[in-house]
Amino acid sequence: MDYSQFKFLGLPMLAWIPLFPLLGALVNLTLGRRLGKTAAHTVAIAAVVASFGMSAWLVFGELWKAYKAGAGGTGIEQVVYTWIEVGQLKIELAFHLDTLSGVMILIITGIGSLIHIYSTGYMAHDPRYSTFFGYLNLFTGAMLILVLGSSLPVMFIGWEGVGLCSYLLIGFWYEREDYATAGRKAFIVNRIGDFCFLLGMFLLFWATKTLDFGQLKQASVGAAYVQPFWGGERLAAAAAIFLFIGACGKSAQLPLFVWLPDAMAGPTPVSALIHAATMVTAGVYMVCRLAFLYSASTTAMIVVCTIGMLTALVAAFMAFAQTDLKKVLAYSTVSQLGFMFVAAGTGNWTAAIFHLMTHAFFKACLFLGAGSVMHGMEHGGSTTPGDIMTMGGLRKHMPITWITFLISCLAIAGIFPFSGFFSKDEILGGAYSIVGSAAPPGWPAWYGYVLWGGLLVAALGTAFYMWRLYFLVWHGPERSEAAKHAHESPPSMTMPLVILALGATLTGFLGLPHLSWLKLPSWWPSLSSWLAPSTVQTWYNPGVDGPAQPLLGHSSDNTILILMVVALGIGLLGIGLAWVFYGAPGKPSGTVERLVDGPLHGAYEASKAKLWFDEVYDFLIVRPFRLVARALFEIVDRFIIDTIAVNGSAMVVGLFGRVSRWFQNGQVQRYLAGLVLGAAAVFLVADCKTKPTFDYEMVGDRLHLTARPGAGLVSATTKLRWDIDGDGKADVDPNTGAVYDTPDLYVLYGDTGAKVTLFIDDPVTRTTKTVTRLIELEDK
Amino acid sequence: MMRLLILITSAFLAWGAVDAMAPQAAYADPIPAQQGGNPRARVNIVKKSPHLDRVESRDKGMALLFWLFAAMTVGGALFVVTRRNLIAAVMGMVGSFLGISAIYMMLYAHFLSVVQMLVYAGAIMVLFVFVVMILNRPEDEPVAPSGRAGQVIGGLAILYLVGRLVMLLWKVQPPDPIKALAAPVATPEGHEWGTVKAVGTDLFNGGLFPFEAISILLLVAVVGAIAIARPLHAGQDNEGDIPEGEGH
Amino acid sequence: MGNILFNVGYGHFLVLAAVLFLIGVGAVLVRRNALIILMGVELMLNAANMTLLTFSRMWGDLSGHTFALIVIAVAAAEASVGLAIVVAVFRGRRNVDVDKLTTLRH
Repeated sequence: MDYSQFKFLGLPMLAWIPLFPLLGALVNLTLGRRLGKTAAHTVAIAAVVASFGMSAWLVFGELWKAYKAGAGGTGIEQVVYTWIEVGQLKIELAFHLDTLSGVMILIITGIGSLIHIYSTGYMAHDPRYSTFFGYLNLFTGAMLILVLGSSLPVMFIGWEGVGLCSYLLIGFWYEREDYATAGRKAFIVNRIGDFCFLLGMFLLFWATKTLDFGQLKQASVGAAYVQPFWGGERLAAAAAIFLFIGACGKSAQLPLFVWLPDAMAGPTPVSALIHAATMVTAGVYMVCRLAFLYSASTTAMIVVCTIGMLTALVAAFMAFAQTDLKKVLAYSTVSQLGFMFVAAGTGNWTAAIFHLMTHAFFKACLFLGAGSVMHGMEHGGSTTPGDIMTMGGLRKHMPITWITFLISCLAIAGIFPFSGFFSKDEILGGAYSIVGSAAPPGWPAWYGYVLWGGLLVAALGTAFYMWRLYFLVWHGPERSEAAKHAHESPPSMTMPLVILALGATLTGFLGLPHLSWLKLPSWWPSLSSWLAPSTVQTWYNPGVDGPAQPLLGHSSDNTILILMVVALGIGLLGIGLAWVFYGAPGKPSGTVERLVDGPLHGAYEASKAKLWFDEVYDFLIVRPFRLVARALFEIVDRFIIDTIAVNGSAMVVGLFGRVSRWFQNGQVQRYLAGLVLGAAAVFLVADCKTKPTFDYEMVGDRLHLTARPGAGLVSATTKLRWDIDGDGKADVDPNTGAVYDTPDLYVLYGDTGAKVTLFIDDPVTRTTKTVTRLIELEDK
Repeated sequence: MMRLLILITSAFLAWGAVDAMAPQAAYADPIPAQQGGNPRARVNIVKKSPHLDRVESRDKGMALLFWLFAAMTVGGALFVVTRRNLIAAVMGMVGSFLGISAIYMMLYAHFLSVVQMLVYAGAIMVLFVFVVMILNRPEDEPVAPSGRAGQVIGGLAILYLVGRLVMLLWKVQPPDPIKALAAPVATPEGHEWGTVKAVGTDLFNGGLFPFEAISILLLVAVVGAIAIARPLHAGQDNEGDIPEGEGH
Repeated sequence: MGNILFNVGYGHFLVLAAVLFLIGVGAVLVRRNALIILMGVELMLNAANMTLLTFSRMWGDLSGHTFALIVIAVAAAEASVGLAIVVAVFRGRRNVDVDKLTTLRH
């Protein structure tokens, strides 16, 4: 279907989705300070809500129709204008709404709206209120561009835009040095990833000559993916891994995850929106968007899911010993993103997006709840509002926040029937099904079990540290005066919490497991069938791997049920352990301290110090880099550039300036002196040029004579005469009787003597110059 | 007194020059120059004649007159360059112009000779004298101080140019000696070449547009000179010195 | 030598004009009084006029006279405006030394 005329106010309908928030950002960032707080947040919220309304209308209207007609993967594609057209490279600023991006824009604008509303309460006393909303709007717009972009470069605009907003918002309270540093850290770590993203993009363009997702997906282009590259590996592997490193930076995966915990320096709504619900999932979205590319290389898939599993484990481990409320949630985010990458790496795109969605709800709810708690603690008089060791018993003071936090904790621990249960189970089931004979070519038959096992351990850890957090915050006695005086947040903050908690409860039912006896009514929304047209279901098989093989193995009902029970059991086990250590009456008691000081001391220290990742990076990268930079500064910058290039060129210019100042001094007399010198020079040069001569050469049987009477003072009235027979007198043409007087003369060689003389008569000076040359020809 | 003597002598000699040129008509080939059309069209090589292409070859008196006026011209000009006293410089200039006027006469440019005397030696130099009187201040430093190297190079350049131009120019010969040697045709009113009538005819035929343009230029110059020279503000002259660099 | 002395040809006039011109150049070059510089310019114009008249005579073409007449008119205009400027400058600064007229510099 042609959507080219599907416009609103002259612009393509899809362009309005990111444009609303961008316009809001424009208003708030330029006029914000004059608008006043009410107007500022009204504009910002209206922009995002308008975007949400537009998104919902498009997704449930046009896209739904297209989906029903079997064109959910084609969706709506609209070109705003041609951005770059150079040679083979043609990049259009085009937006593409299919079932995959449809889910994403609903999450971004929906949760974004709630967080905007929440921010009106949370940021109420901030002096840079309108700037904050401007940044939030800008972020929303950039994220929507990222998701809606129909080609890699357009996606990259959004990719960089959200990176910028992330930096701006992490360092929003830049008055504090460590917060500003955290912002810079996030930016720099992301640059490493972005660089690899670009490399992957260039590689893809080099191989396929296109960057448009629709064209990249076509089978004709796909043949390029299996070309050998880098020692026999497929080109798809190289491109996919480069792009995945970009995703690692944005989605905080090993080894580039270090920025996300520090990013908690930003305001809590930012942590909820950017560093939990939306931006950090961009990497997952990108991998799913390029499913066709990843499915063309088993190696790339193994890399993706391995990194995902390791990140899930490492981040969960690091979360155990954190005492800052938001830090725990940050590591939990990193860990959950690892889950998503395992899903993406096993070809379980639906599960990845499903978990992305449920995680967006419960993690946003958790962060906003944490923000609410900190808000309350601050009002209670705490100076370190995020320290969970000073909390406890807050459920009595903040009941609404408590309930929503409890629901989210249940969801993240994977307890039936909350959303996390279904999505986590999908991931675990997908990993488990890709074993044995179901494993694709090049995929180790046992690797599915490893992934499954690893994720189970990570899930256990997740349940434990989240419930440790829960018990420490909400149960037991109040451990500080501030906790005793904490009070519930205003409705603008609790209302989004309630909605998000509802989402965290219900969204799981969008992706019920595929049990054969579970007969769902036809109207029941199923995320897997909704997403299917936008992704791929088989390994890319260009005739070399045999027949196309499905990405995921199929598990029987019993297997699925057993896996579900195991997952539920693991979740309950984690909660139980947390209850034993932190939640049971009289806890936390000395047991934890004894364990920490005793047998678990090393592990505790490792977790507390985040496995010394920052220190290792500092030693391996930052210090050598500083050393090299120092050397470059001293040698290249100070010496070569400053001393030689800058001062040297200044000196040379100054020298010429001093010389030319003698001429250009404003004294007309000096100019005239130059004129006189020039005139003298003209005569001098002309004098040097007046030596006349002539050339000769044989052309056939004739001698070609060319006069060169000399430049300079020979006037236009100069007459030439030739003596060709060597008798010293000017000759005439024997045929016509005319005097030889042309500069170009052809004479029969037989007519010439041994010497030829040229007479040059200057009628003005009445002089005649003569030039005599011996004719010496080599072949005669 | 000496200068007055020089001036009188010059005037007398100029008159002598006009008188001396008159006999030329007797032996010159009477081809009217102004009827020749484009002279280049008829250039042809004639036998070299050492006598015909001389302005004055038989009259040593004429040659002496030439040298005299040439010396007067150059001397007056040198006076301008070297004199510290402005009035002396202006007078040297007047002498130089009178010499030039006489030289013009030797070139059969009678009308221009008179114009030169009237306009230059008369009007313009009077203007100069007026201005000198207005300024009425002796010059502080007559010669621009420039580097020794600059002076040497500039002097060498000028000397080289003089030498080179002399070498080049003094051999210059007319392409058509016959026409070049044609003395002005005698008419009942006098001589044809270089007279008011001849120049006027030429001026109002081919040079009409430049002539009109010149009249506009002169008008503009008059207005411009008045506009520039008049005081900017009423009573400015009474205010005395205006400090340097002060903007208005 | 006698030939040069007594056979006065067109070359003599041209050489005289050239010498006159270079003296004018010299006056503009070395003098610092604006009046003298103006006079040097007049000298150069006259030298050019003399060349014009000589060539006019040489080629038997009266256009040179017309040209010279126009040059004289231009020279008169130039002298009047130039002198007006000199007077104006002198009125403001009590000085006509061109080396000291540097207000517009830099």
